[in-house]
Amino acid sequence: MKKTLFYFGILCILISVSCNRETKPVEITAEQMHISIDRVVDVMIHDIFSPPVASRIFAYANIAAYEIIAQSDPEYNSLTGMLNGLEAIPKADSEIINPQMAALMAHMEISKSLIFSEDRIEMYRDSLYNVWQQADETTFLASKDYADKVISHMKKWMDKDNYKQTRTMPKFTVNSDDPSRWQPTPPAYMDGIEPHWMKIRPFAIDSSSQFKPVPPPGFSMDKDSKFYEEVMEVYNTGVRIVNDDSEEVAIARFWDCNPYVSVTRGHLMFATKKITPGAHWIGICKIACRKDKADFNKTVYAYTKTSIGIADGFISCWDEKYRSNLIRPETVINQYIDDNWKPILQTPPFPEYTSGHSVVSGAAAIVLTDIFGDDFYFDDDTETPYGLPVRSFSSFNKAAEEAAISRMYGGIHYRAAIDNGLKQGRLLGNFVIKKLDMNNREQLAEN
Amino acid sequence: MKYKPFITALILLLFTSCEEEDRLFSTPDPKACGIDFENILTETDELNILDYLYFYNGGGVAVGDINNDGLPDIYLTGNQVKNKLYLNKGNLQFEDITEQAGVQGNSSWNTAAVMGDLNNDGFLDIYTCAVVGINDFTGHNELFINNGDLTFTEASKEYGLDHDSFSSSAAFLDYDGDNDLDIYLLNHAVHTQESYGSSDLRTKRNYATGDKLLRNDGGHFTDVSEEAGIFGGVNGFGLGVSIADFNQDGYPDIYVGNDFHEDDYYYLNQGDGTFKECLKDAFAHISRFSMGNDAADLNHDGYPDIISLDMLPEEETVLKSSEGDENTQMLEMRINKLGYAPQFTRNMLQVNQKGENFTETALLSGVAATDWSWSALFADYNQDGEQDLFISNGIPKRPNDLDYIKFISNEQIRNKLNDTRLIDQKALKMMPSGNHYNYVFEGSSTMEFKDRSGEWIRKDTIISGATAIADFDNDGDLDLITNNLNRTPTLYINNASKTSSYLKISVRRENGNTHGTGTAAIAWSKGIMQYRALYPTRGFQASSEPILHFGFGQEKNLDSLLIIFPDHTFKKFKEIPLNQTLTVHWDDVSEKYNYAQYPGNANPLFTPAPDNFGLDFIHKEDDYLDFNRQKLIPYRISDRGPATAIGDLNGDGLTDLFFGSSKSHSPVFYRQSENGFQKDSLSGFNFDDKCEEVSALITDLNNDGMNDLITGNGGGDFYGRSSQLQDRILSQTSTGFNASILGETYDNTSVIAEGKDQKGKIFFTGSHTISYDFGNLPVSRVFRWNNGMMTAIDLPDNGKLGMVTDALWEDLDKDGNDDLIVVGEWMAPRVLLNKGDSFIETKFANKSLFGLWQSIASFDMDNDGDKDLVLGNWGSNSKFTASSDYPMHMYYADFDDNGRTETIVTTMKNGEEYPLESMDELAGQMVGLMRKKFHNYRDFAGSDIRKIIGSELMEKATIFTVTNLRSGWLENKEGSFVFHPFPNDLQVSPITCMLEYDFDNDGNTELLTAGNYFGVKPFQSRFDGFGGALIHDQNNIIKGSETGLDLFNKAVRHLNIVNIDKKPYLLVTNNNAASQLYTINQTLNDL
Repeated sequence: MKKTLFYFGILCILISVSCNRETKPVEITAEQMHISIDRVVDVMIHDIFSPPVASRIFAYANIAAYEIIAQSDPEYNSLTGMLNGLEAIPKADSEIINPQMAALMAHMEISKSLIFSEDRIEMYRDSLYNVWQQADETTFLASKDYADKVISHMKKWMDKDNYKQTRTMPKFTVNSDDPSRWQPTPPAYMDGIEPHWMKIRPFAIDSSSQFKPVPPPGFSMDKDSKFYEEVMEVYNTGVRIVNDDSEEVAIARFWDCNPYVSVTRGHLMFATKKITPGAHWIGICKIACRKDKADFNKTVYAYTKTSIGIADGFISCWDEKYRSNLIRPETVINQYIDDNWKPILQTPPFPEYTSGHSVVSGAAAIVLTDIFGDDFYFDDDTETPYGLPVRSFSSFNKAAEEAAISRMYGGIHYRAAIDNGLKQGRLLGNFVIKKLDMNNREQLAEN
Repeated sequence: MKYKPFITALILLLFTSCEEEDRLFSTPDPKACGIDFENILTETDELNILDYLYFYNGGGVAVGDINNDGLPDIYLTGNQVKNKLYLNKGNLQFEDITEQAGVQGNSSWNTAAVMGDLNNDGFLDIYTCAVVGINDFTGHNELFINNGDLTFTEASKEYGLDHDSFSSSAAFLDYDGDNDLDIYLLNHAVHTQESYGSSDLRTKRNYATGDKLLRNDGGHFTDVSEEAGIFGGVNGFGLGVSIADFNQDGYPDIYVGNDFHEDDYYYLNQGDGTFKECLKDAFAHISRFSMGNDAADLNHDGYPDIISLDMLPEEETVLKSSEGDENTQMLEMRINKLGYAPQFTRNMLQVNQKGENFTETALLSGVAATDWSWSALFADYNQDGEQDLFISNGIPKRPNDLDYIKFISNEQIRNKLNDTRLIDQKALKMMPSGNHYNYVFEGSSTMEFKDRSGEWIRKDTIISGATAIADFDNDGDLDLITNNLNRTPTLYINNASKTSSYLKISVRRENGNTHGTGTAAIAWSKGIMQYRALYPTRGFQASSEPILHFGFGQEKNLDSLLIIFPDHTFKKFKEIPLNQTLTVHWDDVSEKYNYAQYPGNANPLFTPAPDNFGLDFIHKEDDYLDFNRQKLIPYRISDRGPATAIGDLNGDGLTDLFFGSSKSHSPVFYRQSENGFQKDSLSGFNFDDKCEEVSALITDLNNDGMNDLITGNGGGDFYGRSSQLQDRILSQTSTGFNASILGETYDNTSVIAEGKDQKGKIFFTGSHTISYDFGNLPVSRVFRWNNGMMTAIDLPDNGKLGMVTDALWEDLDKDGNDDLIVVGEWMAPRVLLNKGDSFIETKFANKSLFGLWQSIASFDMDNDGDKDLVLGNWGSNSKFTASSDYPMHMYYADFDDNGRTETIVTTMKNGEEYPLESMDELAGQMVGLMRKKFHNYRDFAGSDIRKIIGSELMEKATIFTVTNLRSGWLENKEGSFVFHPFPNDLQVSPITCMLEYDFDNDGNTELLTAGNYFGVKPFQSRFDGFGGALIHDQNNIIKGSETGLDLFNKAVRHLNIVNIDKKPYLLVTNNNAASQLYTINQTLNDL
C-alpha cells in the first residue's frame, strides 16, 4: 500500500514536470534528505547490517553531503582537519552547481556504495534524478559532475579506514575454558561479530581506547561478589517482569533495536528484523529536525554530527567489548542459576561489556542536545513500522537513560555495562561536540 | 486444433507405458487397485508447521496378512483423516474393510501404524500411535486386537498401551527372551526451547516425550524403561527406530534416531533385561537431523549395518539455498561443553565392524544426500544378491530456505509482531516447495550404491513418508507402498522375479511369538553369505510384511540356509530350491546356536601391550583454529603433529622415544630401561615449549657414534618470520645436547627423511605450507651434514616441490644413490633422481595422479620381487570429489585485493563447477565481492564458479588440481608405474602412515596402513572410521579391526616398530590422543 502511494506520488511529480517544460530552479528539501536516510535504513534492514557496520554507512554518506554544504554555506565549517585523515574536498568550480543537489547526490551514491542491495536505493535516486534533469538539465549535470568528484575523493578517504582489511581478519575464537569469557548464545549461536571493529579508523576521537571505561566487576559466582549481585539483578528483574504487561517489558522491547532476531520452531526458521541502535538515534535526529523545522543544510549538519557520535561510539564500545570479553547474563544464568531462564530480548552476538546501546545513546543524546537544546520534548515514533508504540521523552538525555536501562530489563546486560556504557558514551559525545567546530551561527551572529 | 490435447495425451500415454515396461517397479493407479485413502492435511491458522513442528511428517503404514490367506493386507493411518484397512483380494485388488473391521481410530493426530501378534493367537494385531496433549490433540495410542474374522477390538486400555503422549512409532521385539512381543515406544519431543541444554537432559524422565520400553507381562504391558536403562528425556526427538542384533550375541539391540541436537541412542541388550546405551563408544559421528533409519547387513559379514536419514539436498540450487551445517566452534562447544556426539547434516551409512564399532561411509557409498528424507528401507529389490535401498522423500514447504529465513519472512511478519501468532498462512505460502522424488539405489559388493531413481522407479513430485515392504502380488519379489501427503498412496510393484531368483521365508510358531519376530536367517550361496533378520518395524512410522526375503540372481538352488530363532534354537537347510516361499516352523528343537562361534574375530595379531610399558604420552592439540584465520582454507594445517622419533638417545643400546608437542605443551622424551619407559629430560636440554614439532628423526648426524635429534617444526599457528617455525638440530656431545637452527626457514615442515647414497647420509626436509598464506608453495630441501655444517643440494623448482606431506628415499634407478619420491597435497607424486650433486626430475606418473597425498611407502604388492609404491591419499569418503574428467580445483589469489590471499575449492557436479563453500562462508572472507553481487541465496545457488567470482578474477588465480582422491599403489612395471586404487575399505579416510614389517613372522613383510583425520569443517564431517589395514599383498588385505588394532576414531600420525626387551612392539602415535603400544602375537602364525 505504502509502495503504491509512493509510486503514485512519483507519477504525479513526473506528470507535473512534463507539463511544464521550461527550466525552473529545483528546491532540495530537508524531507528529501530524510527520505534518502529512510531508504538507507530500509536497505540496512534488508541486507542485515550489524550495528557497527551500519553506523559507518550513515557516517560516511552524511559527511560527504555535509562537506559539500560546508563549501557553500558560510554558516558551516568543513570537517577537514577535525576528522581523522579527511582532506579538503575538491572546490566547486562552477556557479551553476546546486550544492544541495550535489550534497543529496553524494549522500545517495555513497550510501549505495556501502550497502549491498543497490537497486533499493537506485529506485529513489533515479526518481529524483529524473525530476531534476527535467527541471534544469544544466544544473543537474554540473551538480552531478561535482558530486562525482566529491564522491571519488570521499571513497579514497573511506578506503583507508581499515574496513577492507578487517573483513579478512581472524574470526573471534571462543575460549570455553575460561568461565568469564563470552560464548555464543541461543538460539543461533552466532560467532562474535566484528571482533576487529576497534581497528577501524575512528572519525573524531583520537583512538578507539580514548574513552576506555573502568573494567567490569570481576567474574565470580561467589554470592558476596559484585558480579554475582549484578547477575542476580538481571535474573530477578527478568523473573519479576516477565509475562507481564509491565512498563519495563515495554521499554525493553521499544529499545530492542536488534537487526536480526532469529526464531526457530522445529525445522522452521525465520527472522524478525529491526533497525539498529544507531538507526534509532538517526530516527530521533529526523524527528528533531522536523520538529525544529530545520532546513536542508541544518538537517544534513544534524545528521552528520549525530552519526559521527554514533560511529565513534561503536568503535569505542567494541574496543572494550573484545577487551573485557565478558560472558552474557543468559549464559551465566543458564549455567549457574536457572537452565530454563530466557531473557526478554534475544541476546545479541557479541561480548557483554559495555552495552552498545548505552554508549551510543549516551553519545547521540549529547550531540543532539548540543544541536537542538536540552528539554527538547519529542514523540519517538521511530519504531512504529516494526509494530512498536510511540514513546515520548522530555529530552534526548532522558531517552538515552531509558535506552540504557532497557538492556537490563531485556535481560541482556548487567548494571555495570549500562552505567559505565552511558558514561562512556556521554564522555565521548562531549568530546565530539567540542572537537567538531561545525556551526558558525553564533560567530556569524556576533559579526 | 481441437484434438491436439487428446493426441498429446495419447502420445504421452504411449511413452509412459513404454517406459513402465522397462522399470523394475511399475506404479499402478492405487484407485484402480481399490485404494482411495488420502492423507489430506488441512492447514489452519491454529494448526500448521509453526504450531506443531512435525505437521508435515505424514501418517503411517503397516502391512501384514491379517486373515492368514497368504496375501499381505494394508493399514494406513491419516494425521487428521480416519485410518483405513485394505484387504488384499489377490491380483492387486484391495477392498476397504475399515468399517466392518472397526479400525478407523479415534485419535485427532495419528502417526505410525505397526502390526504384530501381541496376544499370541496367530493373528496380526494393529497398533497405532498418536500425538496427544498438544494443539488440542485428543485420543491415545490404539491397539486393535484381531478377532480372526476380519473384525478387530480396540483394547489398548486393557493391555496398558493407551499411551496419550507424543508417539511417533513403536517397534515390536522380544527383548527379554520370554517368547512374547515387547514394545519400544518411540516418542518425540516438542521442546521449542531454543537453547541446546546439556545432554544430561536425557536422563530426566518425561512422560509425554520420553521413549519407553514396555514389557509384555502376559497381556499387560509394564513400563520398564527406568530399570532397563532407557532414556526418556525432554529432548529426545525420536523419529526412527531399528531393532537388530548389532553385536551378534543373540539378543536384540535398539538404534533410535533423534532429530535436532539430541544424539541418536544405541542400546545394546545386555541379555539380562537391561540395555546399555553406548552410542559414543561405537559411533564416531551421526546424522544431525535424524529421521527414519534401517538396519541390514550390506557387506555380507553377518553384522547389521545402519542407515540414518537426514535432510541434506543433493541438488546444488537447493543445497546452497538451504541452511547448512553449523560452524566449527559451535560444534566443538556442543561436543566438549554440552556432551553431545559429533553430528552432521547428512545421511549416515554406518558399517558395522563386527559389533565393535561402525565405520561411516555414506559419502563413499553415494547415499549421503537425498534431500528431505523420511523412510529408508534396505532390501534386495532387483534380487541380485546385494541389498538395495529405497528412500522416501519430500516436504510441502522448505522451512530452512535461507532466503525465506533472512529476507522474506521478516517482511511477511513485520506487522504481526504484536500478535502472539507470528506467522500465518500467507507467510507460509512464501516458503519454497520441497517436493522431491523418492530415491532408489542399487547396492553392490563394493558398498557403492548407484542411484536408480528414474530408472527403477518413476521420478514423481509426490511427498512420500512412511513406507512398507511387502510382496503384494505374491510373485516373490518385494513391492513397496508409501503413505503420501494429500494423495493416494503409491504402490511400487516389483517385476524382478521375472528375471531373477528369490527365497521368501516366513516363520510360524504355535504359541507366543507366533510370527517369529527376531528370527535371523543366514544363507550361503557360492561362498557368499547373506544375512537377514525379521524385525517388521523399519524405516519410518511403519511396519513391513513379516517375512524374510533373499535374492540370488540367476541361481536356481541355495547351498545352505541357517535359521536362528529368537530363543537361539536353530534349523539348518541344505540345497534348497529357490523361487519358493518357505514356511519355517519354530517348534521344539532343542539345540541352541552358539553365538560365540558367530562369524567374527579369530585370535588377534595385535593386543594392547601390558600397561603400555609405562608409556603415558598423550598428545594434546592446542585450540588454534585455522578456519578462524583463513576462513576458506580447505582443511586445517595445524593438526598434523606430533612428531615421533625412535632411537637410542642415551647410549645404553635401548630404543628411546621422542614425541613432539603442540604449542603450549612441551615435547617429551621417554627413556627405555628394563622397567619400560620413563619420562626424562635430554641431559639438561630445555625444549622451547612454544614450538610444534611435527616431524622428527633420531640419527647420528655427524657420525660421532652418538645419536642426534632433528625436529621439523610447523603447527600452522605461527606465521611470518616466527622463530618457532625454524627446524632444529640437537647434537649430542659427551656432555649433553647442543641446540642449533637448521637454516632460516619459516614454513610448516611436514617430514624429515634420511636416505643414503655413495657420499653418505642424505636428508630431506619436506615443507607443507606457509602459515596464513595457504596456497603459496613452501620450500623443501635436501642436504648433507659435513663437519657440523649443512650443505644444501639444489632441487628442481628451487625446492618449491608442492605442499609436501611425505617422502621416500629409494634407489629407483639402481645407481647406488637413493632417489627421492615426494608426495603432497594438490600435487602428483614427484620422482627426483639423485645424480650425486643434483636431482633430476623424471616424469613417471601420468596426469591423473594429482591427489591430496598423505603418505608413501615402498612395498611389493604383487609378489613379483620388485618394490611397488604404495600411496596414501585422502580417500573417497568425502565431499571432495575428483577424477580426470571432473577434477577438483583450488583457486588461490587475493580475490578482494585487501592484502590477504584466499583459496576457493570447487568440485564438478553435472558438468558445472561449483564452490564447495556456502555463500555465507565465501562472504565471510570476501564480503564486498559476494554480497554486492548476490542479494539472495537463490541467485548464488547453482551458479558456476565463473559466474560467482567472475572470469577476470579467476584469471588472477593460481589453479591447483586434484584428479584422484583414492589411495592405491603404483605397480612397478620395470621402472614404469601403473596406478591401482585400493578397495573401498581403504578409501574411508585419509591414509596418513604406513609401516612395512614382517608382523606375523612368516618371512614375508606386510604393510600396515593407518589414518583418519578430523581437521575439516563440519560440512565435510570427519574421517574417523578407518580401523587400519594389514596388507599382505594386493589380494590379501585384512581390516585393522580384525587384527586387534583399535584405531577407530583415532587420527593416527605414525606407526613404528619399537624393540622392548629384544622383542618388537608396534607403536601407534595419534594426534590429540594417547600413544598406544601393541604386542605382536607372532606365534599365532604357528597355530
